[in-house]
Amino acid sequence: MLHRRIFQFLIIYIMGLMFLLLLKFSLNLSDYVIPGPRELWQTSLQFSSPYFLHVINTLSVAVVGQIMSIFMALLVGVTGRQATWFGSFIKVAAYNVQAYPIVAIAPIIFILLGDGLLTRLLIAAMICYFPLLLSVLGIMSEPVADIEHFYRVTGRMRWQLEVKIRAFENLHKLTTVISGSATLAMAGTIVAEFIAADAGIGYTIRIALYQGELSKILIALFLIGITLSVYQGVLEAAGFMVKKGWTHM
Amino acid sequence: MRFECSHITYRYPGAAGPVFQDLSLTLAEPGFDALFGPSGIGKTSLANIILGRIGEYGGAIRTEGMRSPLYTYNLERLPGWSVVGKHLDKITPPNRKALKDELVASFGVARCLGSRFTQLSLGQQNRVNLIRYLVQDFDLMIMDESLANVDERTRETIIFKIKSLFPHSIFLYISHNVVEVAKFCKEIIVLRQAHKHPQTIRVAGQNLYDAQALEKHRLEVTMLEIMNAA
Repeated sequence: MLHRRIFQFLIIYIMGLMFLLLLKFSLNLSDYVIPGPRELWQTSLQFSSPYFLHVINTLSVAVVGQIMSIFMALLVGVTGRQATWFGSFIKVAAYNVQAYPIVAIAPIIFILLGDGLLTRLLIAAMICYFPLLLSVLGIMSEPVADIEHFYRVTGRMRWQLEVKIRAFENLHKLTTVISGSATLAMAGTIVAEFIAADAGIGYTIRIALYQGELSKILIALFLIGITLSVYQGVLEAAGFMVKKGWTHM
Repeated sequence: MRFECSHITYRYPGAAGPVFQDLSLTLAEPGFDALFGPSGIGKTSLANIILGRIGEYGGAIRTEGMRSPLYTYNLERLPGWSVVGKHLDKITPPNRKALKDELVASFGVARCLGSRFTQLSLGQQNRVNLIRYLVQDFDLMIMDESLANVDERTRETIIFKIKSLFPHSIFLYISHNVVEVAKFCKEIIVLRQAHKHPQTIRVAGQNLYDAQALEKHRLEVTMLEIMNAA
């Protein structure tokens, strides 16, 4: 899984890079617009190590934001799964809020909280929270009738058992959603760093952007992609281990 | 102990015609009765009305001296997080452990206890599922194709065992197998189209018990009566 993810990213990255170089050489663009292979190589040698630390900084915020989102989504999803007015309210609210681009709220958070860790964390959590919530709500609201029937007719059904049955039956979906939300958390953190931070790879990209140094941005993108691929691969592997452990208890 | 559906009328929302029109049905004697009819006639819908899953029906359902009925069907599954034996232990009331063991042995699923539900054949799955219902407290059990995919000999053993272990309970066995219902059931309630009146006709079955000889001629007559009624 991990190898496949890294391999897929490398293919896309190399294709993107080739396209830029093709554009550069076919239109005879200067190194200032699109850097050449030599400059890219030198920049990578010079900046890979510090940029990698910046990516790790961003990833650590994204991971914390994602964990917050997962817990929130599970909490609200489990509470909102029932066909009560509260459950319906949560579902309607989640669907409506999801339709709004959360990233547009980021400047408000910046104005209210200023720049720094809390703003980054909050924006990252908000961006990956709603898609996660919708998935958890969908999974938790869908009865697994063939299994739940016995517990209902014999009066043994408890909410904990209901959640356990639905989570177990949809473990693959949950793992995929959580793994996918890592990208959203990372994107959220980088967006937050563009506008409201003095650390992280988003902040670094912003500086490179002001300096007009595409080579630095390309190196940063490479490191973001590789790190995210590894993180998603680890999440998928963890999901696989959980499922394996749960089904072999 | 009495269970009675009187003048039940029901039409699914958007359906052209009713499923039930003035349907009446009484179950008062313990034993093995069958609900027989072609696919789509409304056997499972009737079970759903009895269980209270369908609420917007006309008529009334009354019970006297009876707890809520249990309904089991052949597509049920056990959760996959532990083996069948652990599940059965967990859902069996403490005073019914011996009953569970006896059912496990006579239903031929002792070797399945260490396996997960998904690892079992369909017939084994249905037998395991039925055991977990039989170890509960009940007065009326509706068995909807509960022995589907079980071979004929094992099915016979199971029905005889249920009859001997639960002589005071009422079983309503839903099946499409005319030979089976004619052979083992006390009464066969044949469910007919809604436009026919009465919508149910009762046919006396052979109600065969273990070690009892089967009278083939009488069985054939019963089968003919069932087919004529349907």
